[in-house]
Amino acid sequence: MSAVFDFAVSTVTIAGIYALMALGLNLQAGYAGLLNFGHIAFAGLGAYAAGIGFGLGWAPLPSLALGVGLAMLLGAFMAGLGRKLASDYWGIATLAIAEILRTIATNEGWLTGGANGISAIPALFDGLPRPWNAVAFLALVLGVLAAAAWLCARLGNGRFGRALRLMREEPQLATCLGYNLRTLKTRAIMASAAVTALGGFLYAHYMSFAGPEYMLASETFLLWTMVMIGGLGNTLGVLVGVVTVQAAHVLVPFAKDWIGFGSDVAGALRLGLIGAILLACLLWRSEGLVPEKLRKIP
Amino acid sequence: MLQFLVDTVLRASDLALIALGLSMLYGLVKFPNVAHVQYAMFGAYVTYALQSSGFPLVGALLAGSVAAGLLTLGLQVLVFQRLLRGGPAIAMIGSLAVAMLVIAIMQGLAGSFPRMFNLPRVEPLVIGGARIAWTQLYLMGTTIVLLALFMLVLFHTRLGRAMRALSSNPMLANASGLNAERITYCVSFASGAIAGLGGSMLALSTGAHINLGNDLLLPVFAAAILGGLGNPIGAVFGALLIALTETAVTNLNFGPLLGRELAFMPVGYISAGSFLILLLALLFKPYGLFDRDVRRV
Amino acid sequence: MRSSRVPGFRRARIAAAASLLTLAGTAAWAQDSVNIGAVLSLTGANATVGEDVRRGIMLGVEHVNAKGGVLGKKFNIIIEDSGGNPTTALNAARKLATVDKVPVVMGEYSSGITLPMAQYLVKEGVTHLNIASSSTKIRQLGATSFSLVGLENFGNQFSAKDTWDLGYRKVAMIAPNNAYGQGVLEGYKAEFEKLGGKVVTEVLYTAGQSTYRRELQQMSRSNPDAYVYTAYGQESAVINREAEELGLRKTPWYAILMSMSLSDTPPAIANGQIGMELGSVQGAAGKAYADAFKAKYTEGFKTSYTGYGYDGVLLTAAAIEKAKATTPAAIQAALKEIGATGFPGVTGTIRFDQDRQRVDPPYDKLKFEGGKLAPR
Repeated sequence: MSAVFDFAVSTVTIAGIYALMALGLNLQAGYAGLLNFGHIAFAGLGAYAAGIGFGLGWAPLPSLALGVGLAMLLGAFMAGLGRKLASDYWGIATLAIAEILRTIATNEGWLTGGANGISAIPALFDGLPRPWNAVAFLALVLGVLAAAAWLCARLGNGRFGRALRLMREEPQLATCLGYNLRTLKTRAIMASAAVTALGGFLYAHYMSFAGPEYMLASETFLLWTMVMIGGLGNTLGVLVGVVTVQAAHVLVPFAKDWIGFGSDVAGALRLGLIGAILLACLLWRSEGLVPEKLRKIP
Repeated sequence: MLQFLVDTVLRASDLALIALGLSMLYGLVKFPNVAHVQYAMFGAYVTYALQSSGFPLVGALLAGSVAAGLLTLGLQVLVFQRLLRGGPAIAMIGSLAVAMLVIAIMQGLAGSFPRMFNLPRVEPLVIGGARIAWTQLYLMGTTIVLLALFMLVLFHTRLGRAMRALSSNPMLANASGLNAERITYCVSFASGAIAGLGGSMLALSTGAHINLGNDLLLPVFAAAILGGLGNPIGAVFGALLIALTETAVTNLNFGPLLGRELAFMPVGYISAGSFLILLLALLFKPYGLFDRDVRRV
Repeated sequence: MRSSRVPGFRRARIAAAASLLTLAGTAAWAQDSVNIGAVLSLTGANATVGEDVRRGIMLGVEHVNAKGGVLGKKFNIIIEDSGGNPTTALNAARKLATVDKVPVVMGEYSSGITLPMAQYLVKEGVTHLNIASSSTKIRQLGATSFSLVGLENFGNQFSAKDTWDLGYRKVAMIAPNNAYGQGVLEGYKAEFEKLGGKVVTEVLYTAGQSTYRRELQQMSRSNPDAYVYTAYGQESAVINREAEELGLRKTPWYAILMSMSLSDTPPAIANGQIGMELGSVQGAAGKAYADAFKAKYTEGFKTSYTGYGYDGVLLTAAAIEKAKATTPAAIQAALKEIGATGFPGVTGTIRFDQDRQRVDPPYDKLKFEGGKLAPR
């Protein structure tokens, strides 16, 4: 049964890390209605900071600070772009930025290891015997996730979240009420960037590897799917979405072993299942499986 | 020099048809359809399937574009019309889901391995110092002919006028009796068919593979945005500009600057180049280079 | 916080229960056979090679079982797809190591994937058999990693000498932008320049592009005596075709790892190329293997890696028999012993040096004519 235990620990760890990144996206997309299609760049910065910091001999915390700092800078830059652009154009611009970063990561071998990435990043609890190292890491991930979820829920229900929602639904009213839309957007994106970079940092340590595939556009789309399925704009919804998508991802290889279809079909099934779930949600429950509860004034 | 021009036009014709379709449809539905490049991939596979089971190439190409057109039309009617009720953002995310589904279905049916067309080997054409393969010449020629046809339709027929009217002011067009739905259907089919044709002709050179769409996504969007979304002719010029920059950047010999005999920009940065152009365009001229309207941005 | 979390957790529990049941079923079934694992590129740019190696491996398993299996039990291999990228490969390796608990994992193919995957396996103490990658970094992977394939230092020496002997003095090189390609570029350049030659252009191409004209034109500007290239099947098809269209084939094209570079190029275009290859099958054992392969799959092998997969399977079976155990440590000790004396494989005699890397790996000089690869 220890096989099952190991596998369960690893699945939940990865789900937890994706949940962190999805929570970050929710801050932008859910609360603020910002269509960021380059979101994975924040996670990529966190992951590469882990690798580069390790290469320079730093301890984990300074590397994390580097990753979060860079991600927040990028977020501020993206917010600056958004000044002049309508939301769907801005989405494409962010997609382009993420792709440019990925191209740089693939080509600048001296910094990022090029297409090979950076390997042998130490797992954070290597000193502990098996299986406690994996369990400790899982505990760390879940702890960080709980803290982030609590923080996001607090932000969401507090002044900042209400301001973001108002900006999303009635931007002109928000401006009339004195909210500076630009500052709100910038703060939302920067907060989102920080949380996501943390997720990317943990992922690099978990996989002991940081590579340019982490920043593929398909990863952003995966996060979008998680957020949309669960329900834009509320923390619980995001968690439900992560579990659903992760379950689909994990069950397909087992179905493949059981039913016995080929790898191409398995890969297609994973992608298709997620696309189908997303489309179904959009068509029939566009608020997601767990709709956002807007406060009604009594 | 001639080879430079040839390469530019070739790369532009890879992108032009698909960007044209994207821009044309955007004018009517007003949301960026991320799945559009997948229609091109779909058309390529249909063409491959037919041609490899014995159809003549031209027939297979036509069938591939019709199939892609039908797919676009079907998706517009069944999926995007409904999603648009939720707004362009929902429709854009929906197009993401549709793109995933199309890729998944094609991967399940055709496998992830690229399918090369079995074409008779012909010596490339040599004009001056430049060499072009016949398939590429056909692609360029088809693009030019289609573009001319398209301009004819757009500016000299009632359908074209209706399209332009609908694209610039939907409410007024509706009020003056134009059937917006029918025109949107026509345009959906046409834009899908053109994308399918573009994808199939591209696949003649590269083979039909499931990443055909994804590899084109950002360059096509860059071309369409540069030309102004909704301005199909502009999209073709956008494609030319992108192709020109890409070709120039990799052909320029930076050697003399660096004191070496030969030094080129690493080709990996070409794509970053077109994305950079896209970003600059979005920053300074988000409505396209040819935007003449005075608009508060 | 409020317990409005219940619905979400219930869903999570259902998903978890479903996965547990599936796992329990799989684990129970696997007990009465000896299992090993492999991670191959069954989808992606290298699917041709992956499928080819899979066939070689399955043939090996069949032959082992025909001789009575291993330790009296059925010999079984669990093959996972790497998808052509390191993340999927790492997940596959994790599944093999933690769920299936195999003592040996073979794979992968591209060095950029083998390296991170093998590092994980070494960390877990699982035996790793490298059956296709050639980056010299594989030597430093760790105490549980063994390599049946000659690493690049041997390959590059061979290619450099071969191209020098053919009379080329100025060459232009193109290779993929990853661990393997970068290694070949640097290694070949060092060896070729030692002999007095010069590499006038070096291009690292990015995978997945629909055209490589720009890269080819950059290379042609330097007027080399020959083009030395190595590329993965799908991309090399495009590169070879465009090289032909651009008229670059009037200059000789030399392929490093020829069967990989030509695996998806139409024969009409591949005709006339020369190159080198990992020694695929050697001697009488090799010929018997080639015949058995053709008999089972009705076509011969398309790449030269299948023999290494086959040898990997037989070597592992022999090590398990020798160790009379299936724990990774025992198998590793047995492999070292066998490697010291030599194991007769279809790719020649397999010997390991003290770093567990293949000694005296075989290479072949090939040319492509009449529609197939032939010795030169």
